[in-house]
Amino acid sequence: MMHRWWLLIAMLLAGCAAPPALPTARLSVAEALRAPDRAGFLRADRPRTFSFPADHGPHPGYAVEWWYVTANLATAEGRRFGVQFTLFHIALAPDAPQRASEWGSHSVMMGHFAVADIAASRFHAFERFSRVGAGLAGATASPLVRVWLEDWSLAALDERAVPLRIDAAQDGVAVALQLDAGDPPVLQGVDGLSQKSAAPGNASYYYSMMRLPTSGTIRVDGVSYAVSGDAWLDREWSTSALGEDQVGWDWFALQLDDGSELMYYQLRRRDGTADPASKGVVITGAGDRTDLRAADVQLAVTRTWRSPRTAADYPAEWRLAAPAAAVNLEITPLLADQELPTTVVYWEGAVRVQGTIAGRAVRGHGYVELTGYADDAAASLGR
Amino acid sequence: MTRTLWLLSWRHLRRHPWQMALAVLGVALGVAVVVAIDLANASASRAFAISAETISGRATHQIIAGPGGVPTALYTRLRLEQGIRAAAPLVEGAAVDLASATTLQVLGVDPPAEAPFRPYLGGAALLRDGGLPAAFFTTPGAAIVSRETATRLGITDADGALREVRIGASRVSASIVAILEPDDAASQQALDGLMLVDIATAQEWFGVPGRLTRIDLIIPDDATLARVTAVLPAGATLERPAQRSAAIQQMTAAFELNLSALSLLALVVGMFLIFNTISFSVVQRRDLLGMLRCLGVGRGQVLGLMLAEALLVALVGTAIGLGLGVALGRGLVALVAQTINDLYFTVSVQALSISWAPLLKGAALGIAATLLAAAVPAVEAAATPPRTVLRRSSYEARVRRLIPWVAAAGAAAIIGGAVLVPIAQRDLVLGFVALFAVTVGAAALTPALVLLAMHPAQALLGRVAGLLGRMAARDVAAAISRTSVAIAALMIAVAVTIGVGLMVSSFRQTVARWLEQTLVADVYVAAPGIAANRLDQPVPPAVIERLLTTPGIERVRRYRSGDLATSVGPVFTIALDVTPADQATFAFVDDIGATLWSRFATDGVVISEPLAFHQQLAVGDALTIRTDRGPQSFTVVGIFYDYGNDRGVVMMPYARYRQLFDDPMITSLGVYAADGTSVDGLVERLRAAAGTAVLTIRSNATLRAASLEIFDRTFAITRVLQLLATIVAFIGILAALMALQLERARELAVMRATGLTPGQLWGLVLAQTGVMGLSAGLIAIPTGLAMALLLIEVINRRSFGWTLWLSVDPALLVQALLVALVAALLGGIYPAWRMSRTPPALALREE
Repeated sequence: MMHRWWLLIAMLLAGCAAPPALPTARLSVAEALRAPDRAGFLRADRPRTFSFPADHGPHPGYAVEWWYVTANLATAEGRRFGVQFTLFHIALAPDAPQRASEWGSHSVMMGHFAVADIAASRFHAFERFSRVGAGLAGATASPLVRVWLEDWSLAALDERAVPLRIDAAQDGVAVALQLDAGDPPVLQGVDGLSQKSAAPGNASYYYSMMRLPTSGTIRVDGVSYAVSGDAWLDREWSTSALGEDQVGWDWFALQLDDGSELMYYQLRRRDGTADPASKGVVITGAGDRTDLRAADVQLAVTRTWRSPRTAADYPAEWRLAAPAAAVNLEITPLLADQELPTTVVYWEGAVRVQGTIAGRAVRGHGYVELTGYADDAAASLGR
Repeated sequence: MTRTLWLLSWRHLRRHPWQMALAVLGVALGVAVVVAIDLANASASRAFAISAETISGRATHQIIAGPGGVPTALYTRLRLEQGIRAAAPLVEGAAVDLASATTLQVLGVDPPAEAPFRPYLGGAALLRDGGLPAAFFTTPGAAIVSRETATRLGITDADGALREVRIGASRVSASIVAILEPDDAASQQALDGLMLVDIATAQEWFGVPGRLTRIDLIIPDDATLARVTAVLPAGATLERPAQRSAAIQQMTAAFELNLSALSLLALVVGMFLIFNTISFSVVQRRDLLGMLRCLGVGRGQVLGLMLAEALLVALVGTAIGLGLGVALGRGLVALVAQTINDLYFTVSVQALSISWAPLLKGAALGIAATLLAAAVPAVEAAATPPRTVLRRSSYEARVRRLIPWVAAAGAAAIIGGAVLVPIAQRDLVLGFVALFAVTVGAAALTPALVLLAMHPAQALLGRVAGLLGRMAARDVAAAISRTSVAIAALMIAVAVTIGVGLMVSSFRQTVARWLEQTLVADVYVAAPGIAANRLDQPVPPAVIERLLTTPGIERVRRYRSGDLATSVGPVFTIALDVTPADQATFAFVDDIGATLWSRFATDGVVISEPLAFHQQLAVGDALTIRTDRGPQSFTVVGIFYDYGNDRGVVMMPYARYRQLFDDPMITSLGVYAADGTSVDGLVERLRAAAGTAVLTIRSNATLRAASLEIFDRTFAITRVLQLLATIVAFIGILAALMALQLERARELAVMRATGLTPGQLWGLVLAQTGVMGLSAGLIAIPTGLAMALLLIEVINRRSFGWTLWLSVDPALLVQALLVALVAALLGGIYPAWRMSRTPPALALREE
């Protein structure tokens, strides 16, 4: 998956590269990405052997790494919730210097936490930052995998790393969820090396756990709800860059009731067409895998939604067809406004799905992520 | 008719341009001194307020603790366990950029936590292009300064080049990775003198890993407040930043009040000068006014004319005075800032900020004083029947009849002032009233004293210089309506310089004696503090170890100083070793008696005189100090003389301090040389042992000298004011006497025509001004002594709580007398020169 975090890092690097504190002309994302100085960082430039549970833990030396959880949950009565919980580890320098102060650090963590309360048509989103160090935030694999940003955390309950526990709370919105073992990790791209453009090293290590049975509680507006459903965990680490012509992406993570899952990201080029580097995968209930390339997928937008916040026009309904895998799906947001008013503005929301796979009718749910719509990201940063 | 009156006035002004010019100058000087001091004071306060605001940002509360600071763990608990979101850790301190010798305030921040407090640093700023450079966060020693500060450091580009910076005793490397260019003047001033660093860098620089200076919080409701207080450890306090900065700003209140008092004294001098010049110009035209009255001009019209003229002088003089005051203020603001930095806290005041209040105050004073000065003689002239007005002698007679009454009023004012002194007690305003009453009273007594003095003076001068000598003295008495005001003005001016001068020199003497008594160790070792009289920078423990093993040491005395939170607010506390031999270094105002030192070792503290005064603490009272073991109650077992800190000091035994605080730092050492060891040699060896640490290692003689140097620097502003008052007086007197003599042109011409030689004329004029100067000087001496006593006993004791021993420096009195005499003689030179050169016939015709 090609998350927005490339964009974020682009901003970061632009910040470092620009003459500091001068009112620089705002760099366009693509421009910022052309000559990023990432000397000294490790690159995802060769195949590697993944090993679990160790790889659930952190991978120091790369510019960025994230733990990315989305979940479609519901109470026994059928009240639906979408949950997004993401922790990003962003290294500002390749090495952590030896410091006398425990605050000494070379990296920060950024967290995004959102709850879509479908019945109430409410979307709660939060963002926070912290330095890594002084016990405030960090990621570790020993003794157990634990990634935390203050009191937001994702922690393994035992040495298998899954089941995982997620705890997050802010301003009266809270989740406490347990993600149980489900499908084994799926290595994205070629054996987990996901190429972003033709340049070597412009790639990430990327795996997903596409369905983790989840249960726990969600608290909104002073009421706690016992919920259960499916979570999706994406893990990616790299020191990479966006292609010159890429302005954003649409990412789909769908879980269907026949036991199959589909992931597809479409990179959008400046002229609005799909970049050939776009890719995805379909895993059937039996565990069979079909890789999707840009040419295999037809993605049609059937409706759009204008954000009252940013006046950005987002796609708001899709028809996704992948004839090679006999997939034909209609995707509809559960809530129109699932735009995160965070540092980089984007839309990430729970969706419902219906259609056919291999001729059989399927229904399901999932998450969609849309970036690069709110002006360009740099403009939204400069608000 | 009115037009004719204006023309008359205009003619007078045209014919006596020097008189008007001198009147304007008198007003201008008086206004300028008051405005300059007010502006300098206001600029320093404003700079402090702005920097306090930058530093506290939008925090509603702050957690602070003792000298050891707040443990990092508390911050982590607040965030992780209590879910407190709006919290930011800070490590603060001061540093000196060695290349440019600039003192900077260092603010160590955690950028991701800063968004709610100082948005220019907060979370996303790290990620924004053109925002905080990543090096700020990742590179040890990376720092950010404003463009203005960069210029002072001699930096044009944020090239990250290494600079040497001194933090307490250590040299560290800093690199400027960004230069902030704030858009508005307020932010510019706010960031001036500020060096922003990452919190890790600050902890390393100040040698406090694991500790914070404070935690800033935004606490919106009681529920959040409860969550914070739930985890607050015993040694920490939660307070509002406004309280804290108010408490800090309160520290300078006494100092500023003192400056205002001195500026008011300058104003009194200025008022007398204004009164002298203006009343003179009215008195001089009494016959003209009488003629006008005879011709049918109404009283109201005469009065109106004189007041209008005075208003013109007032407006022109005030305008010039305001301009002069602003120019003078620019010079004074640096001196005021210097004193504040030496005595209180680091404040960077680069520019004079011109606010309306001091200008309006100065203008009001200038105009009111001038109108009042003109009104008194003008009302008199208007009220007198026209025929009487025409006779000069009638006026002199009236004045003479008035003199005993004025003298009686003066004596009453002096007695009233003296009575006020014991009543004034703690009230500073009453103290000023007393000072003012005594000053004005002495001025009112002056004419009577002059008249009394002229009889013996006549005899004395007659014996020395014959008839002319007698004449000189007699003329002073004969023209008492004019001479007395001039003498009184000169007397006040000289008395102020005597009073302020004696106050400062007594203070200096007292401090010198005190230093001799308290600084008895042979060598003192300390990290150079930022504020000159506050040693609160810790010496690194490793360095202490090395120093202690230096050969030739008999014993050392350890000191740890810093602010502690007490039941009477934050108080500078010194924990120190007190062996029986050290007990003699204390001089007590009051103490508990025989059990003093045994109580001191267990549950007692000794406090300084200013603290006892400000907080109304007496021996036997309880003082609660917040320690790392929770609040601890101490008994005040002694109050000692101390001139090192005007807010007051608490002292406790070092051993007790270590039991109560988790703070192993030491701020200074008193080293006693072993018998037969040369102190200079020991200083050299200690310096060698210090290695690269930046320490001031001084013998007690050098330290005493350095302390007095700081004292002198602190009082530089006072001395400047004293000098200003003298200059104002000098110019004013020169002007007044010159006018007086020039008015006598006709009289002298008559004398010339009847045989007075030019040489004799010179003698007569100078003898007369000399007699006036001498009288003024002689009356100024007791008046100045009284002022000094009031300044020392009332003002300084009330505002600072210091007992000062009055010491009279005869040289100062002689100098004051000389100033009066020289000013008076100089005042006679021009008129004597002019009249000795003018042929008498011409002089007579001109009249």
